[in-house]
Amino acid sequence: MIQLAKEVSSRGWIAYAARGESGTWDLFLMRPDGSERRNITNTADYEEGGPRFSPDGKRLLYRRFAKGAIINHDLWGFQGELMIADAEGSNPVQIGVDREFPWASWSPDGKQIACLTPKGIQIVDLQTRAVVRELPRKGIYQQLFWSPDGQWFCGVANARIMWTVVRMNAQTGDLNIVQEFQSCTPDWFPDSNRIIFPSRPAGQDGYGFTQLWMSDGDGKEARMIYGEDGYHIYGGALSPDGRYVLFTRCADDGGGSEQSGAPICVMRMENAPAIAGPSETLRKVHPEAKDAVVFQLVEGWEPCWTYAEIGATK
Amino acid sequence: MKIVSTLVLLSLVWLSASCAKKTQTAVDPNVTTRGSIEVTAQLEEIRGDLIDDPMYDYAHVMKYKVVQVHRGKVDKDILYVGHYNPAEPRSSVADARVQEIGGNVKQFRVGDLHRMAMEVPIDDHYMGGIINKYFGEVNDPVYWAMWTDKAEK
Repeated sequence: MIQLAKEVSSRGWIAYAARGESGTWDLFLMRPDGSERRNITNTADYEEGGPRFSPDGKRLLYRRFAKGAIINHDLWGFQGELMIADAEGSNPVQIGVDREFPWASWSPDGKQIACLTPKGIQIVDLQTRAVVRELPRKGIYQQLFWSPDGQWFCGVANARIMWTVVRMNAQTGDLNIVQEFQSCTPDWFPDSNRIIFPSRPAGQDGYGFTQLWMSDGDGKEARMIYGEDGYHIYGGALSPDGRYVLFTRCADDGGGSEQSGAPICVMRMENAPAIAGPSETLRKVHPEAKDAVVFQLVEGWEPCWTYAEIGATK
Repeated sequence: MKIVSTLVLLSLVWLSASCAKKTQTAVDPNVTTRGSIEVTAQLEEIRGDLIDDPMYDYAHVMKYKVVQVHRGKVDKDILYVGHYNPAEPRSSVADARVQEIGGNVKQFRVGDLHRMAMEVPIDDHYMGGIINKYFGEVNDPVYWAMWTDKAEK
């Protein structure tokens, strides 16, 4: 684990949301080994969450909520105001009003955002804030993310059943199922070919636990990345080169946004599939899985990673 | 004179009782004004179990037989209606995801008669998980229940 920490220590920055000194949710930056941690919003009068680096790592998109707002693990993309700041948190600009531009995610060039509204998926030009293109949402109802190459969207949809991770062709609007049944919060691998998502598979005793999974965009080769009986794994995000994966492990389902988040963890992708703890039941289902080598960081929620040197100071 | 007074008194009592009854069964203005469609319909079938999980919200599609159309255009006798978090009483079901919803139905039971204010299709008015056990079998549009009151048979 120490070796893993050393390996990632100089590989850019992680942005994430966590409780600040005032008790409200703030945004933080830290090195991937947990060093050089600093609060970059530090607003006692607001709650902030859902940071996403722009593709060039120079800006940060996030949502700002009223003080005291409960950040719902499923609804946060609909809640609050869209904000865009420099990557180190300076020059924050409010984009639109409360609940406007829901589930905004970056275009590859950072000049547009894709939003998920009841009317459909809207492509918005950030300079003019005009909707330049619109596609039917075809049952996608939350957690929309635009692929790094701009060719696809992923999201959570009602397909044959609810809580289905889907991929949509960003040009034609054609939709395919990636993973059915209790799967959500999908995000892209840097190659735009694979999708990472938490999933709570059927067949577990009782309620079961949410594991971190990945699949190719066609949904033909799904496999577990990390699992641990007793914990729900959310917040899956790849390092920009796809060699490392971030996630949060929370005893309660949902990822902890309603409380104080959960410990953020780093793991090498070459270690996947991996299982931590005794996890006797899970090891029977995945006998090929290795023992997880995971470096645990601070408590937080929805981390993301850039290799850009964004000028944050100690 | 005494007979006339008694008759007047009885009439007043009947009128009063009649008014009281009328007040009791008065139609909730929420159901007559919300949405663009209003029907009285009998709940014919609930396919699958109604999940009661406070962590996750969803709409469950139920099958209704139309008894009377009060407002809007309804082409078929059978409707498929999505009810939000149906394990919850309608009076307390509104939340952060769905704010414009309510009614006095406490529990969904097959055979009950409901007066509902609705919109169609559900996707234009609700963004969330949908349990639709008729998927692939029925191609009719799914209605979205905005207000659901119990109706008298």
